[in-house]
Amino acid sequence: MDDLFDSSLNLEDTHYKEGYDEGYSYGLDTGKEEARQVGLKVGFEVGEELGFYRGCVDIWTSAIWFDPTCFSPRAKTVIGQMEELIQKYPLMDPENVQVQEIMDNLRLKFKMVCSSLHVKLEYNGYPKSSTEANGIQF
Amino acid sequence: MTELKEIQRLEGHTDRVWSLDWNPATGHAGIPLVFASCSGDKTVRIWEQNLSTRLWACKAVLEETHTRTVRSCAWSPSGKLLATASFDATTAIWENIGGDFECVSTLEGHENEVKSVCWNASGTLLATCSRDKSVWIWEVLPGNEFECVSVLQGHAQDVKMVKWHPTEDILFSCSYDNTVKVWADEGDSDDWQCVQSLGEPNNGHTSTVWAISFNAGGDKMVTCSDDLTLKVWETENKGMQSGGGFAPWRHLCTLTGYHDRTIFSVHWSREGIFASGAADNSIRLFVDDNESQVDGPLYKLLLKKEKAHDMDINSVQWSPGEKPILASASDDGTIKVWELIP
Repeated sequence: MDDLFDSSLNLEDTHYKEGYDEGYSYGLDTGKEEARQVGLKVGFEVGEELGFYRGCVDIWTSAIWFDPTCFSPRAKTVIGQMEELIQKYPLMDPENVQVQEIMDNLRLKFKMVCSSLHVKLEYNGYPKSSTEANGIQF
Repeated sequence: MTELKEIQRLEGHTDRVWSLDWNPATGHAGIPLVFASCSGDKTVRIWEQNLSTRLWACKAVLEETHTRTVRSCAWSPSGKLLATASFDATTAIWENIGGDFECVSTLEGHENEVKSVCWNASGTLLATCSRDKSVWIWEVLPGNEFECVSVLQGHAQDVKMVKWHPTEDILFSCSYDNTVKVWADEGDSDDWQCVQSLGEPNNGHTSTVWAISFNAGGDKMVTCSDDLTLKVWETENKGMQSGGGFAPWRHLCTLTGYHDRTIFSVHWSREGIFASGAADNSIRLFVDDNESQVDGPLYKLLLKKEKAHDMDINSVQWSPGEKPILASASDDGTIKVWELIP
């Protein structure tokens, strides 16, 4: 014989389980949606920045093709290194551990070429460190 | 009784004086001593000694080039060029053209505040460092052209000073990350690498390292820090031995208990005396301790000058020439010139 009060005694447990299932599936949906948004945003940013460097390198390479003496040997070397880095970038493999290293290296080489060519080019999407801290400097 | 006697107090800068550098081509063969000073007032001043009165006067003001604080200045070994590093993220190169200083080149590349600039012994390379944590090496090309050779990344924080070894092409940098890093060109194609990092595990400093200076022989180095100590380091006599590779540096001794605020500056004279300047407004001089026991201190306090300035002392520098003179730059906006009377 079932106890008359059985169902009411388990009430707390039942509701807990229902709430848990509801929360779990809600979390799964919103989590996926959020991840999708972050993925779109980061993917867009990475693509845009890589595209920017790709464009610069293509123009510089064309310039060198027309006039091999237009840039210094050192600048030409660094432009060649940028070309290699862009080709090496694992676009379809965002979880590749090399991703950040290649991007950092590209940013550095880009700064070196700009300095060497005496041009003030800046990738607009580049994360600014100068805006974060404007405290007193020593 | 040894005494540090104030010869002159120089006014002119309208903000704190950050740094100064003696022109190495002056002070002998009848050429009057010259030094440059730089300040929070965005200008650089050139000071020249009058050979008859022995006093210094401001000969030129270099302005309207840097748009923010000028943090550091350095003469090329020939004394013909002056490099100035500024919080405006640029380094300017000035040439003395018939008594007038003209800005002949501007080095751009750092992301933000440039903190220090230094020429190598032969004047063919220039190093700069910045709050962007990087150190840049530039090659001096004909026609006042400067080209970036390498960007050195390794410091985790703001790099405070760069200093070339007095004879070898080995670069030293010190940082807010409490370390001193040693950089050398490993191969033949601009391949600069960090060959040594002197930090806490190597008896290094426990807070920001502010300055580096070498003895005349180049086998010893002194560093000063926010941890209120001065540390002396040594290496084998030849920095980069032929075929033997890089000779590492090791901790020799720590001088503690002499300053009670941050030590911002240290400079080793060719005569073997090193001077330190600190936020406690005082100057200290140290010498080799001849009577030092095997385990005892290797350097002893020669002299202390309390209240040398009214505020923090940012830089102390010995002059070239036969009878070295010490100059100090301070937050109080003045520069003082001192004579060491034995």
